[in-house]
Amino acid sequence: MRNVGAFTVWLSAALILAMSARARAEDAPAAPAVTSTPGSTSTPASADPRADGDSAALSQLAHFVEIHGFASQGFIKTTGTNYLVQNSKRGSFEFNEIGFNLTKDLTDRLRVGMQIFARSVGSVGTYTPKFDWFYLDYHFQDWLGFRAGRTKLPFGLYNEVYDIDSARVPVLLPQSIYPLLNRDTLLAQTGLEAYGYVRIGPLGAIDYRLYGGTFYFPTPSAPGATLLQYDVPYIIGGRVMWETPLEGLRMGGSLQAARIDADYTVVGAGGAVIPVSLQFPYLIGVVSVEYIAHDLLLAAEWGRWRADIETNIAPATRTVNERAYALAQYRVLPWLTPAVYYSVFVPNIDHREGTEHHQYDLAATLRFDFNAHWLLKLEGHYLQGTGDVSRDLNDNRPLSSLANDWFMILAKTTVYF
Amino acid sequence: MRALRLLALCTVASALVGAAWADTRTDFVVIVHPANTVTSVERRFLADAFLKKITRWSDDVALRPVDLDPASPLRERFSEQVLSRSVSAVKSYWQQLIFSGRGIPPPELREEDAVVAYVLSHPGAIGYVSVKTNLQGARTVVIK
Repeated sequence: MRNVGAFTVWLSAALILAMSARARAEDAPAAPAVTSTPGSTSTPASADPRADGDSAALSQLAHFVEIHGFASQGFIKTTGTNYLVQNSKRGSFEFNEIGFNLTKDLTDRLRVGMQIFARSVGSVGTYTPKFDWFYLDYHFQDWLGFRAGRTKLPFGLYNEVYDIDSARVPVLLPQSIYPLLNRDTLLAQTGLEAYGYVRIGPLGAIDYRLYGGTFYFPTPSAPGATLLQYDVPYIIGGRVMWETPLEGLRMGGSLQAARIDADYTVVGAGGAVIPVSLQFPYLIGVVSVEYIAHDLLLAAEWGRWRADIETNIAPATRTVNERAYALAQYRVLPWLTPAVYYSVFVPNIDHREGTEHHQYDLAATLRFDFNAHWLLKLEGHYLQGTGDVSRDLNDNRPLSSLANDWFMILAKTTVYF
Repeated sequence: MRALRLLALCTVASALVGAAWADTRTDFVVIVHPANTVTSVERRFLADAFLKKITRWSDDVALRPVDLDPASPLRERFSEQVLSRSVSAVKSYWQQLIFSGRGIPPPELREEDAVVAYVLSHPGAIGYVSVKTNLQGARTVVIK
């Protein structure tokens, strides 16, 4: 099954390459045949590279369907501990993503779109295609629009481009704020979103997003218990970014609250069946700052995530963790962009000492853009601690028994159009 | 006397830099449809329009920015001077919007004549071409 999935990915990649080549061929220079006279509205046959030569095509430019896609193949190898995928110590190619999307402007205020996405990252994904997002977007005014459907969650600076390799430099976004294995949960919600962009004179502009709905959560399992039902009754949140008067500098914050409910039965002493009701409310927040000028990008984020566990059979517990990173990238050549970041993750702010109570990650990336549709990234990490490591990937060994200092290298190539 | 010479030198240097800046500023003109009554726009407005952060003119007509091909030197200068970002950074910006479902970039046309034709055929269009391009009736607007 895995081989079939891999074959599908590579077949799709080949198709993407072929389509990219065709797109380039269509982009080939064509002599403009402008025949319009001053004030007229006649249009040139070759005005738009996406047009097919029909002069009517240009006037319909705003009505075409946008099609975009990507396919990635990655490699990951770690020392000391398995991380993200089962066999990372040995080296693993189970690091693939593929997706394509369609977007169409129905009117200048109304847009529809959808993206299908599949991936294989260790035990996550296994190439099962799913709707990544789909929506109906009504853009009433610049200061107010509504989007209904399954939409990506605006959380922090880059949550929405989490899986878009071509849109960022690092192979792995800082795992403290953007944990790869939580992608299915944190990426999108199904519900309603309000958004807007408001200029505030000399003070810059405010870009806001507010949303509410529910989200996909994989079936929770508990050893020795029988799951009766589970539900995500709500997710609400928002992000407000201030685009400061200093052009390229924006800062703001994101907040998200959700709850997951599950009902189990467990068999107690004497064979009695005990109903167990579990509620898992969480509140996560992050503050963000980003500066972009020409080819330079600087970003930093800090957040705290609070998770409670409430049951009818035990006192409630609360865990607060802390996450932060700082990132810098600069395009030194048209085809070469290096980046570095330092990321900090503390799973429980009440316990910071000890290998399993933190994870510090120093990463460096080189991104090579071979052309407008193909890139390669090489990345190295030096990590301290195992706070973000999964025991499941390491034979259930205690995290404190794993290496405190370890390394990770990644390579990833992506084709996109 | 020495101070005067220094002052004169600085003045000449400033004039040269200013001339160079003015020269780059006049490298392109921003054009709109003949029916558009706007005569000048803020540079920030222009940046917002080409990044599609704003989508409508003040009279509620839909803004339709049109870009040149990414390989165009004029696109590069426009991007650096108006958007304060390299073409690559702008491309990355659009990648983020495309794949998160938040927007699609302006059409990219290879020829400046095609940009003029596009602007002439769309009342809300705004584009840029080099100063020597035949505007065929498209109106220019001043960048404030």
